[in-house]
Amino acid sequence: MNINIASYCRLTNHKLEVNDIDIQIQKTEASSLNDIYRHLNLSYPKFFKMDNLSKAGFLASELLLKNIIIDKETPKKDMAIVLMNRSASLDNDRTYQTTIQYENNFFPSPSVFVYTLSNIVNGEIAIRNKIMGESSFYISENFSPEKIYSAVMNTFSDPNINQVICGWVDYEFNECDVLLLLIRKENQEKIPFNVNNIYHLYT
Amino acid sequence: MEALILELKKEIIEVLNLEELTPEDINEDAPLFVEGLGLDSIDALELIVLMEKNYGIKLNNAAEGRDIFKSVRIMAEYIAKNRTK
Amino acid sequence: MNEDIVVTGMGIITGLGYGKKQTLEALRLQHSGIGKNNYLQTIHADYPVSEVKMSDNEMRNFLKIPSEKIITRTPLLGIMALNEAINEARFDKNEARKIAFINGTTVGGMEKSEQYYPEFINTEHYIENHDCGSSSEAIAEYFGNFDMITTISTACSSAANAIVLGANLLKTERVDVAIVGGTECLSKFHLNGFNTLMILDKAACRPFDATRTGLNLGEGAAYLVLEKASDAQQRNIKPLCKLSGYANTCDAYHQTASSPDGQGAYLAMQNALYESQLKPEDIDYINAHGTGTENNDLSEGTAIMRIFKDTIPPVSSTKPFTGHTTSAAGSVESIISILALQHDFIPANLNFNHPMPELSFQPVKENITKKLQHVLTNSFGFGGNDTTCIFSKIE
Repeated sequence: MNINIASYCRLTNHKLEVNDIDIQIQKTEASSLNDIYRHLNLSYPKFFKMDNLSKAGFLASELLLKNIIIDKETPKKDMAIVLMNRSASLDNDRTYQTTIQYENNFFPSPSVFVYTLSNIVNGEIAIRNKIMGESSFYISENFSPEKIYSAVMNTFSDPNINQVICGWVDYEFNECDVLLLLIRKENQEKIPFNVNNIYHLYT
Repeated sequence: MEALILELKKEIIEVLNLEELTPEDINEDAPLFVEGLGLDSIDALELIVLMEKNYGIKLNNAAEGRDIFKSVRIMAEYIAKNRTK
Repeated sequence: MNEDIVVTGMGIITGLGYGKKQTLEALRLQHSGIGKNNYLQTIHADYPVSEVKMSDNEMRNFLKIPSEKIITRTPLLGIMALNEAINEARFDKNEARKIAFINGTTVGGMEKSEQYYPEFINTEHYIENHDCGSSSEAIAEYFGNFDMITTISTACSSAANAIVLGANLLKTERVDVAIVGGTECLSKFHLNGFNTLMILDKAACRPFDATRTGLNLGEGAAYLVLEKASDAQQRNIKPLCKLSGYANTCDAYHQTASSPDGQGAYLAMQNALYESQLKPEDIDYINAHGTGTENNDLSEGTAIMRIFKDTIPPVSSTKPFTGHTTSAAGSVESIISILALQHDFIPANLNFNHPMPELSFQPVKENITKKLQHVLTNSFGFGGNDTTCIFSKIE
């Protein structure tokens, strides 16, 4: 049994690459994630309610899973989502803080509060694709291929899991830094899932 | 009332991030929840915040909102009657 | 690795008190930790909370932390709890063992950041201590000898997921010891947040009661020391119980609400039972997530009925005792479940009076003495993150 990288998506402020294909999109500074959404012609209005972290992770997952998950309704119990980042949900936390900062304009926003948790991005990907296996989110000071590898291999110790969406999803100070991988247990040998390959796809 | 309905539509679009809609797309008599715009429980809570922030109307729980948010027109009528701002 | 994973140490601090002894006593005497806020400075004084009855300074003095050391409340709670766990597990610092520390937290240092935010230029050290990872590091630094430190942030299932990760690390033989759990202190940020979601109750929470209207927040920390059974035997330490099974699944329904049929919870319990090679009728007690919100208790109750059918064991939520300790709930309630197991004692589901018409069962109203062999505990987080752990007596 081989553990392969079946698909990947790299999304930063300067790059959008999916399985070796560079996707060219005119990006403005102000709303680049929304621009990508429109460029992809997705029909998912709930996208606009998400915070930047969830938008980034969601978009990358749509590209990652394009032509792989065609049926978004059937529950996938053998698929897990294991993500990591450095800044947790701080980007959105700051937005939430502005709604409670001043006593004379004190209106905490429920829809913003929902996203003051890093793992809601897992939830958004899961809701969209009905993914019902393990869901984890780790905080790490730096991008670490070793930690990603280790976390995913731990997830595979559950015999029910055959596929894992994993990687690094970070958004802070208008900087988007996402690498998503779809890892699969397969009979054939393809691109092996290992620390070196994770590192090369990131850099 | 028509001015308030238009204002309310714009505000709903903004606070609920209904980015792909314009006020013309919202029928003031159509249901807001379940069918119609398909809003959910978090949207209802944001509308409760909107009521207090813009119109000074304080609702005590989500259940109170259910009757008031049946449509934009019903919302506008309630606001016209109870606003303190 | 096919060996049992056992628990060799536990430590806990909540509104019920410091340590397992005070916790058990409060459970037996039905003394809840929920009341008016004393340490948290908030305008929302009408929401009952369960605070740990020690100020930061009292904890610092107890732990002999020098006054110049900057440390926030979340890691202070963590160190208090971890102290008890590590003492019980009796490690020899000179032995070469690979020890992992897996900490669940979401608030991190936020409670100080929100206090000092307007003046942050002068108190930048608190800003450095804001993020979740630095809470874990602060705790680890106090003890000084962990080979691996990581932080899990999956909201209210964080500590339970720390248990899952720790167990997996042991099974895959990556570490010799896994110290797992979580810590969270109260903050205005999340009190206001839960308030804006309208899921807080102004009265004491009533899980599984038809009149329930929300949860009460709590703070606390709890850690378990996990090892392989053979290692515990080799060290001559008597395990407290074993971790028979666990599972984490995703409800894939909504960002903060649970599905009406409790599918995520159903899968988590089903998978945990399967892994532990137990049947539903083998479970003697369920310590439910039971937050007291309309949504959770219906969803979780439905999932319990689907799994256990005619053999539903006694169920109680201990959140009326400790409040909802969010990121620490998974380990706080695992320790309460293990105390129940050790003492053949099921704590009551306080404040229950009106059965839910949708459910075929009611939670236990009074403390029950019953021989317990297997106990199941649930922790569900926002994002549909559902985790179940099963602890069993060792024959």
